[in-house]
Amino acid sequence: MSERGPLPGPGTTPTHRDEWRMGPEQSHVGADADVVGTGGLGKIDGVSKITGAAIFTDDIQLPRMAHAKLLRSPHPHARILSIDTAAALALPGVLAVMTGRDLPTKHGAIPVAQDETALAVDRVRYIGEPVVAVAARTEAIAHAAVRIIRVVYEPLEAIMTIEDALDPDLPPIHPDARRPSNVLRRVHQHHGDVDAGFEAADLVIEGTYNYPGSTHVPLETHAAVAQPLPEGRLKLWTSTQNPHYVHKTVARVLGMPEADVRLIKPDVGAGYGGKCDTFASDLCASWLARKLDRPVKLALEREEVFYTHRGRHPTRMWIKMGMKSDGTITAVDFKAWANGGAMASYGVVTAYYLGVFLALPYTIEHFRFTTMRLYTNHPPCGPKRGHGALQPRFAVEAHIDKMAHALGLDPAQVRAGQLAQAPSTSVNGLHVTSTALDRCLEEVVLASGYSARRGRLPHGRGVGLATSVYMCGALHGIYPDDLPHSGVQIQIDRSGRVTIFSGTADVGQGSNHMLATLVSERLGITPHLCRVVEGDTDLCPVDLGSYSSRVTFMAGNAAIDAADKLRARIATTAAIALDTDPDALRFRDGSISGSMRSLPWIEAVRLAEAATGTLGASGSYRPPKAGKAFRRNPIGPSPAYSFTAAAAEVQVDTESGIVVVDRVWCAHDLGRVIHPEIAEGQIEGCVYMGVGEALLEEQQYDGGQMRTPSILEYRIPTVYDTPIIDAILVESHDPGGPYGAKEVGEGPQLPIVPAIANAIFDAVGVRMDHPPFSPDKVLRALQGRAPLGVLPLPPDAPTRRES
Amino acid sequence: MLPLPEFKLERPDQIGQLTELIGQPDSRIVAGGTDLIPNLKHRLESPRLLVSLGRIKELQGINSTDDGLTIGASTILSDIAQSGTVARGYPALADACRTVGTSTIQEMATIGGNLMLDTRCLYLNQPDGWRTAIGGCLKCAGNTCHVAQSGSGCYAAHSADTVPVLWLMGARLRLVSAQGERLIRLPDLYANDGIQRTTLARGEMIHSIILPKPRGFVSHRKLRLRGSIDYPLLLTAVRREGGGATAVLSALSPRPIEVHAEKASDLPQLAWAAAKPLNTHSVSTTWRKHMVRVEVQRALEATIHFGPR
Repeated sequence: MSERGPLPGPGTTPTHRDEWRMGPEQSHVGADADVVGTGGLGKIDGVSKITGAAIFTDDIQLPRMAHAKLLRSPHPHARILSIDTAAALALPGVLAVMTGRDLPTKHGAIPVAQDETALAVDRVRYIGEPVVAVAARTEAIAHAAVRIIRVVYEPLEAIMTIEDALDPDLPPIHPDARRPSNVLRRVHQHHGDVDAGFEAADLVIEGTYNYPGSTHVPLETHAAVAQPLPEGRLKLWTSTQNPHYVHKTVARVLGMPEADVRLIKPDVGAGYGGKCDTFASDLCASWLARKLDRPVKLALEREEVFYTHRGRHPTRMWIKMGMKSDGTITAVDFKAWANGGAMASYGVVTAYYLGVFLALPYTIEHFRFTTMRLYTNHPPCGPKRGHGALQPRFAVEAHIDKMAHALGLDPAQVRAGQLAQAPSTSVNGLHVTSTALDRCLEEVVLASGYSARRGRLPHGRGVGLATSVYMCGALHGIYPDDLPHSGVQIQIDRSGRVTIFSGTADVGQGSNHMLATLVSERLGITPHLCRVVEGDTDLCPVDLGSYSSRVTFMAGNAAIDAADKLRARIATTAAIALDTDPDALRFRDGSISGSMRSLPWIEAVRLAEAATGTLGASGSYRPPKAGKAFRRNPIGPSPAYSFTAAAAEVQVDTESGIVVVDRVWCAHDLGRVIHPEIAEGQIEGCVYMGVGEALLEEQQYDGGQMRTPSILEYRIPTVYDTPIIDAILVESHDPGGPYGAKEVGEGPQLPIVPAIANAIFDAVGVRMDHPPFSPDKVLRALQGRAPLGVLPLPPDAPTRRES
Repeated sequence: MLPLPEFKLERPDQIGQLTELIGQPDSRIVAGGTDLIPNLKHRLESPRLLVSLGRIKELQGINSTDDGLTIGASTILSDIAQSGTVARGYPALADACRTVGTSTIQEMATIGGNLMLDTRCLYLNQPDGWRTAIGGCLKCAGNTCHVAQSGSGCYAAHSADTVPVLWLMGARLRLVSAQGERLIRLPDLYANDGIQRTTLARGEMIHSIILPKPRGFVSHRKLRLRGSIDYPLLLTAVRREGGGATAVLSALSPRPIEVHAEKASDLPQLAWAAAKPLNTHSVSTTWRKHMVRVEVQRALEATIHFGPR
């Protein structure tokens, strides 16, 4: 267990000394556990998933249910002159048609950048933007009806590139914004003295890196079913990661009190960040259901998921790094331009995440960055696993490898020599409460044989590694208030069954099992006595949602808080029955034991209910406040940080340029293991997604037209393309985490692409700075030719053209 | 889910009924449906009538004959891939069947369906809304080609994985129609036109594939970026005869191309010169051209390593 030492620790900037107010130190951190960390316990919802019993949104059928389809824009940027829906309305079976003007209230993920409407109003901004919704008796009729709607457009000049977006002479995509500009957000921060840092360096190298756009490809497409209820209320089932924010948004846009909208997240077939926003499917199904007074389903086609997007921002990056001859990083200067597409989505946050996390995991005293998130007429980007932090991590880790090579140093030792320790505060105020990155690095170096094999494998085979840091939730929610970020209520029935009510959204990652594990650990019972009722706004206390890797840390603590209140009540009555002190009782293996005698769980529950009434309790979690450094822009600080090290072994076919990733070793500091198989599964998923982004995935456009909006041509790895994955769980016992746990769902993806790039260098001696490392690019590099399509760096800020 | 267009489905159990039905205007044959059904969902066509081959028993099965092998057109690919007879005499055919789509697709897709696979193009095999945004194309609801703007023809690529090996194995096809039947060489099935892609007459269909006794070792390679699912970026089959060698290449143009070299070692260069990949795929054309030489060379080496000397 990490002890909390006096601040400041290594790497602390004096000005931040008194800013950090620690979150509650959790008494359960480092405690012995029976359920937490125990392998072989089946996931509580596993059987329903593998037998097909799980109910996803598109499985829902209701009496009189209508089906809706969307008509989407064929233009990247155009004015809508007219919409003729007469033919569609005349089609037998068509029930209603909806256009943007029917529901014009603006919404958007971030309160300061609300630029979306349910359907386009007067103007379309990307190919695939929803323009008209049609509800009909059957899906086939709705499909036919949208194809006979005539929309007249006046095409407008389209903003396609980063350069276009930075050109103030070109019109803004959102002219009605408060300060119209195609620069959604520019962030500039300077910590320490970067120029002095470069002066102190023995080697300074600059590099440019392009990271491509990619998308999430969840198995389940977005879908919503809306059902009107008596007294003007509404029930909405939707495939979402963020029931709470979608609930608020739907109520506001429809002009309804939040209490009149019941949002239910059924089983969800994954999100990876792509289901964090409120979408046309939610709003149009709701509006049409109210208009028709009958249930309406709107489930997206696979193609539509590509347009809905909110995926990885294509990002151009520049980095300048100074290093001492011993490998010590003296300064980092970083710039990034992210092509964000036509809507803000979470783009304000992206602009910060592109920069702030670069202050870790190494101790860097001098650090400066300028990042920009830009609007273009492409489908909107948003959060994808490793949101915003992943692209710069690729650049920095590839860059460190180059510098280590130039200095004749072992890249693993360069990293190991300057890892931030715990507790410490980074130069930009990120407080590291726990870290085991040193051990993660050691694990992958040993497992992969990195030190002995780097530079010594036959030509065409190589090993590479990288490390990374990620957050465990944000200290601030999306809108500022003093309310808890996670709430959990627990009710215990006299049958012994424990029901956990939580506003969380299990989207397959296992958060339900996490809640059941922590509660059953505190109560000394099996997780399979627990039922989790989650993602239902009528039944569950608010949890902010499955984003920013926050759920285990925050909802986990809330669940323990609630469980401990019940444990205390049960202990009080059990202690009387067992004639002992409540503090001396042990809750374990389904019984409550004193030193001499014990009570079966169910007996103890009945005694407690008899003595104190119905057994229920609530718990909540509120993160600590961010320090002064984040008062104005509280984006980046987290109650804890996870750390990862990964090594990759690749084969490069020098005749074809084809890269095969044979094996990836990924060691992740997740604080404490709650369920080993689920944690390993998350790491495997991260490695898998990283391999896809390294070798295959890229959103390509012809102008505004996405070239491959299908899972046939947008290639994600198959099982044959997936390496052997060694998922290594490393514990650091974070003082604020539930039993010391931190996140494991996103962080492990961050080092994968740079580890593969560095392995390609080791294999064939070429630097691949622009993923994906497709065979044509690798072959060009092997032929000594410059990469295609690498553009000069854009300016740091919009500048008027010389006339 | 993308709805299918409305159509009538006929499932005849006699070959006579079948040939009568497929002669009807606006009809299409459906066997495994793994090519046709996605194309219907994308509204690349909307036939009035689908005629299923599923109940015609004589179209199914692999039979050894004195002259070689006959394979019924409705034989599913996994049956061919798992056939001992095919493995012994025509291993490259089994290999090619195993590269089609995925193992589940191989349980549905038929060999006749693979021979009749529609030509494919990045600008064609897309949902209808996508195609509307580019104004359609020559093959479907448009009048420009996005692959070769100045071209007058359609360049959609022949993409049938089993064809290059069957071509080099000397396959012939027994065709049937209400008017009777005829026998053609496999290469004569294909026209070099992405739209009118075969030479079949209206109402004519493949009944079976007739393979002569094995003549020399044929090697087969399928270039794709993933180990499964993908359509080919390049198909290469190579056979040696004497000191020379012949390659059949596909996924480059609407019809496979055949390249012969008197001296086997010249084959990669000759194939490279003959191959003209176009922007019909989402993958670099320059790289696909480069890979012609690499793949032919590797296929040639395979004939040395594994085939009769």
